[in-house]
Amino acid sequence: MLRYVIRRILYAVPILIGVLLLTFFLFFGTQSPETIARRNLSSRNPKPEQIKQWLDDHGYNKPIGEQLKRSTVDMLAFNFGKSDASQEDIWSRVKQGAGPSGIIGALIFISSVSTALFFAISVAYFRGTYIDSYATAICVLLMSINAVVYVIALQFFMAKLLRYGPVWGYDPDSLGRFVLIPVVVGVMQGLGSEVRLYRTFLLDEINQDYVRTARAKGVPEAMVLLKHVLKNSMIPLITSNVSAIPRLILGGILIESFFGIPGLGTYLVDAITSQDFAIIRAMVFLGTLLYIVGNIMTDVCYALVDPRIRLE
Amino acid sequence: MPIVRRSYLSGFAAAGTALLAILSLAGTGCSNNPYPPGESSANTLYRVLSDDPKSLDPAFSYTVDEAYVCDLVYPSFYKYHYLKREPFELELNIGAAEPLREKAMVTVTGADGKTKQVEGERYTFKLRSDLKFQDDPCFPGGKGRQATAADIVYAFKRMADPKVQCPVAPFFSDKVVGWEAYSKGFPESDDAGARKAQYDNEMEGVRVDANDPLTLTVTLSQPYPQMRYLMAMHFTTPQPREAVEKYGDEFARHPVGCGPYYVSEFLPKQRIVMTANPNRFKAFYPTTGAPGDAEKGLLQDAGKELPLAPKVVFNIVKEATSSWNLFQQGYLDAAGVGNTNYQQVVTASGGLSPELAKRGATLNKDAQVNVYYCAFNMQDPTWGGLDEKHKKMRQAVSLAVDSAEYIDLTLQGNGVPAQWVLAPSVFGYDPEYKNPLRQYNIEKAKRLLAEAGYPDGIDPKSGEKLVLNYDNSGITPAGRQQVGILSRMIERTGIKVNSRATRPNVFQDKLLKNQHQFYFYGWFADYPDPENFVFLLYGPNKRPGPNSCNYANPAYDKLFEEMRAMDDGPERQAIIVKMRDIATEDCPWIPVYHSVSLSLAYDWLKNNKAHPIANDYNQYRSVDVAKRTTAQREWNQPNFLPILVIGGLLALGTIPAIGVVKARINRRIRVQDGGDA
Repeated sequence: MLRYVIRRILYAVPILIGVLLLTFFLFFGTQSPETIARRNLSSRNPKPEQIKQWLDDHGYNKPIGEQLKRSTVDMLAFNFGKSDASQEDIWSRVKQGAGPSGIIGALIFISSVSTALFFAISVAYFRGTYIDSYATAICVLLMSINAVVYVIALQFFMAKLLRYGPVWGYDPDSLGRFVLIPVVVGVMQGLGSEVRLYRTFLLDEINQDYVRTARAKGVPEAMVLLKHVLKNSMIPLITSNVSAIPRLILGGILIESFFGIPGLGTYLVDAITSQDFAIIRAMVFLGTLLYIVGNIMTDVCYALVDPRIRLE
Repeated sequence: MPIVRRSYLSGFAAAGTALLAILSLAGTGCSNNPYPPGESSANTLYRVLSDDPKSLDPAFSYTVDEAYVCDLVYPSFYKYHYLKREPFELELNIGAAEPLREKAMVTVTGADGKTKQVEGERYTFKLRSDLKFQDDPCFPGGKGRQATAADIVYAFKRMADPKVQCPVAPFFSDKVVGWEAYSKGFPESDDAGARKAQYDNEMEGVRVDANDPLTLTVTLSQPYPQMRYLMAMHFTTPQPREAVEKYGDEFARHPVGCGPYYVSEFLPKQRIVMTANPNRFKAFYPTTGAPGDAEKGLLQDAGKELPLAPKVVFNIVKEATSSWNLFQQGYLDAAGVGNTNYQQVVTASGGLSPELAKRGATLNKDAQVNVYYCAFNMQDPTWGGLDEKHKKMRQAVSLAVDSAEYIDLTLQGNGVPAQWVLAPSVFGYDPEYKNPLRQYNIEKAKRLLAEAGYPDGIDPKSGEKLVLNYDNSGITPAGRQQVGILSRMIERTGIKVNSRATRPNVFQDKLLKNQHQFYFYGWFADYPDPENFVFLLYGPNKRPGPNSCNYANPAYDKLFEEMRAMDDGPERQAIIVKMRDIATEDCPWIPVYHSVSLSLAYDWLKNNKAHPIANDYNQYRSVDVAKRTTAQREWNQPNFLPILVIGGLLALGTIPAIGVVKARINRRIRVQDGGDA
C-alpha cells in the first residue's frame, strides 16, 4: 500500500503544476496586469509611471519564465508570497483562517453525516411504506431549495426572528452560540441529498444474501439495519465523504461571509472579487492539494474498511 | 418480539436525548449579542465596514472606509469643523496657529534645463507642543515620543517616494520645490539601504525650521491656496519613521499615530477596535455650530474633552443583509440605506417607516459633495470636436436627459438635479442658476439635431439613424436598468443609443485607452474647493489624468489657471461663471445629479451629524448606554415557541411510524414462516 500511496503522491505533482499553469493562463488571458495594477492603486487616475512601478514591485513585469516559476515552483515550495492588494503575508492569513473554517467545517460535517444517517436508517427501516414516499418528497423538496436561500432564510428565522444566536460574528471563547446557526444551516443545505444517498447505500446492502441470512437467523429488523447493513454501507459512505474533507478546510463560502466567520472561504471569495491573483493562486493550489490528499485518503480508507480491496 | 419494540423505542429515546442536548446547548449560549461580554454595556460605538481596509498607511490609503479608521489615528494640521456647513470650515487640529503664508521668489529648473526665478509662496506651519505618539514597541521602551515637524517632513518624503504610491502626490509634485528631484533620488531597484539613505537627504522645499523643531516650512513654486485642504488630509499627518521602518509592509495594518484613538485590535474579516489614546493631545467638542444645531441637541456636549466614547468598534460585515439584521437587533448604532433595506426603511412618501420610528430610529438625508454626469469623449470623431455641428449634436442629447425623471426612477427621488459640475456647498455654486441646456426640452433637442444635419436623428447621407455608443459597466440587472433609462431618454430625439456594456475593469481600460464615446461617471471631491471640480475639464488634465472626456478649450484653460490660485471672493466667482458658460456651450458634459445619502441611526447615538468630507467624526459621538442596553434586552428575547411546535410536529410524525411498526410485527406473527422482504 505504501508504494501505491507514494505513486499517487508523485502523480499529484503534474496535476498540481497543470492546475497552476491553467490558473495562470486563465487569469492573464482575461485581463492585463495593468488592469490589476490600476485596481490596487489607491490613486484615482494613476499615471503610467505609477502603474509601471506597481508592476515592478509585484513582479508582473518580469519575464514570463520567471513569472511562471513564481506561479508554480514557488507554490509547490509553499512560498505563497504577499497579497497583491494589501501586501499581507498570505501564508499567515491562511493559518489564521484555517482554524475557524476547520471548526465550522468539522462541526457541519459531523452533524450532517450523523443527522443524515439517522434519517436514512429510519427511512430505510420504513422502506416501501408511505412514510418512505413522504420522506422522499420532503428530501426532494429540501434538495430543490438553493443553498443561498437556506443561508438567508435560516439566518432570518433563527437569528433575527427567534434570536437563538448572533446574526453575525465569531469568538473562539464562546464558540457555542456563534456556531449553532451556521451549523444548522450547513446541515440543512445537504440534508435532502444526503438522506437520499445514504438510503440508497443502505438499500443496496439490504438486498444482499448475508442480510437474508441474518434475518433467517431471527435477527430483528432494527438490529439487521444497525449492525449488518450499516457496517457494510460504510464503504460507499466513506468514499463519498472523505473526498469532502477539503471542503471543511476551505469552508462553507456563503455561510462564512453571511455569518462573519473569518475563515478561508471568505478569504478566497474576497480575493476573487478583488482579483488578487497572488491569493487566488495560493488558494487554488491549496484547494487542489487538499482535494488530491482527500482522494488518496479515500482510497486508503477504502482498502482499510473493505478487505476485498487491495491497493497496488 | 419485545426485542424489536425495545430497540425501536431506545433508538427514539436516544434521538430525543440528543435533541434535548442540542436544545440545552442552544439554551446556554442563547444570547444573540455578537460582542464580547460587557462590551456593549459600555460607552462603545458600533460601526460597520463592508470589508477589511486594504491599507491604513496614511500615505497610501484613499477610500472612505479606510479613512474612518485612519483619520482617528492620524490627525492633520487642520480638521473640518464638526458642525459647520455651507461653507465648510477648517479649524486647527495639531496646528498651534494659523500658518504664515508669504510670497517667495523661488528658483526652478524648466523643462529645457535652464533655471529661472518665479513667484511662488512659502507656508510656515507651527505644531502644538503636546503631541505625542501612541505607545508602541517601535519606540525605545515602548513609550510614544513627541511628534514634531520632522515627522511631517518625513510624511512629505514618503509621498514623494514612488514605491509608496501616494494617490495625492500629483497635487504636490509640480508645486513643492525640489519634489521631482527628491523623488528621482530614490533607487529604482529594491535596494533597501539606498532607499533608507534617501530618507536622510533633505527635500529642498519641505524643511524643519532651524530654530524650532515644531515648525516646518513648505515652499511652493506657484501660489496654491488649496494647500490648506491638503493639510487637513491624513497624508500630511506626522508619521513616525521608527514604525515605518520596523513594520515595513505591515505598517499598513499596524498604524502608529498621535490621534484621539489607536487601533487596539485588528482581526481581519472580523473587527477593528479603536481605543482612546492615553497619549492624545487635548481637544474639545465645538461650542458653536450651524444654525439649528443647538435645537437638535448637537451642542449638549459643547466644551467636553474628546473623544467622547472611549471605544469605537468597526465590525467588518461583508453582506448587507447581515449588517441590516444586526442594526434591527440594536447591535449597530447606525446603518446605511441601500437596495437591501430601502423598502423596509422608507415609505412611499419618502419618510421613515413607522416601525423604525417607533423604535427610536431617525432617517437622515445628507447632500454629498459630488457630481454624477454623462460625458462625451471630445476626441471621438463622431461626437467630439468644438465645431458648431458637433456642439449642437451634444447639446441635443443634453436637452433630452431629464435629471428629475432619472433621479425619480433610479434613486427614488434622492438626489439634486445638477446644473453644472460644482456641487452644492462648494464656493461658486449658484442655487439660482438654471443651465439652459439642462432643462428637458425634446422639441428644442430635435431642432438642434436638424440644424446639425440630422433631422429626426437620421443621417440623410445613409438614411440611417445617428448612433451614440454608450460605454458602460451595467452588467448587473440594476446596472442594465439604469443604462436602459438613460438610453430611452436620449432615443426620444430619434437617435439610436447602442449600449456597450463590459465588466467594470474593461470599462476603465476603455476610458484610459480613449476607446470610449459616451459614458456615465461620478466624481467625489477631495476637498470642498471649486478647483477640485472644474479641474475635471482642464485640458492638460486629459487622459490619463482626471479629465476623462478629454475636453480642451484654451479659453477655459486660461481662466482655470487664473482662478485656481485665487482666494474665494467676487473676482473668483466671476471667473467661475465665465468658465461655466464656456463649458456649458461646448457641452462636453451632461451634469445629471448630486447624490443624497440616506442613513439611519437610533436615538441613543448622540451628536449624530454626518459630514460629507471629513471622516474623523466618530470622536464626537457617544452612546446613551442605558437606553441602548434596555432596547437590546427588550428586542432580543429568544422565542422558543416555534422550536417546540416543530418538535411537536416531528413527534406527531412518529405516530404513523408506530402504526407501521405494529402492523409489521403483527404480520410477522401471522405469517411466521413467510419472508417479509
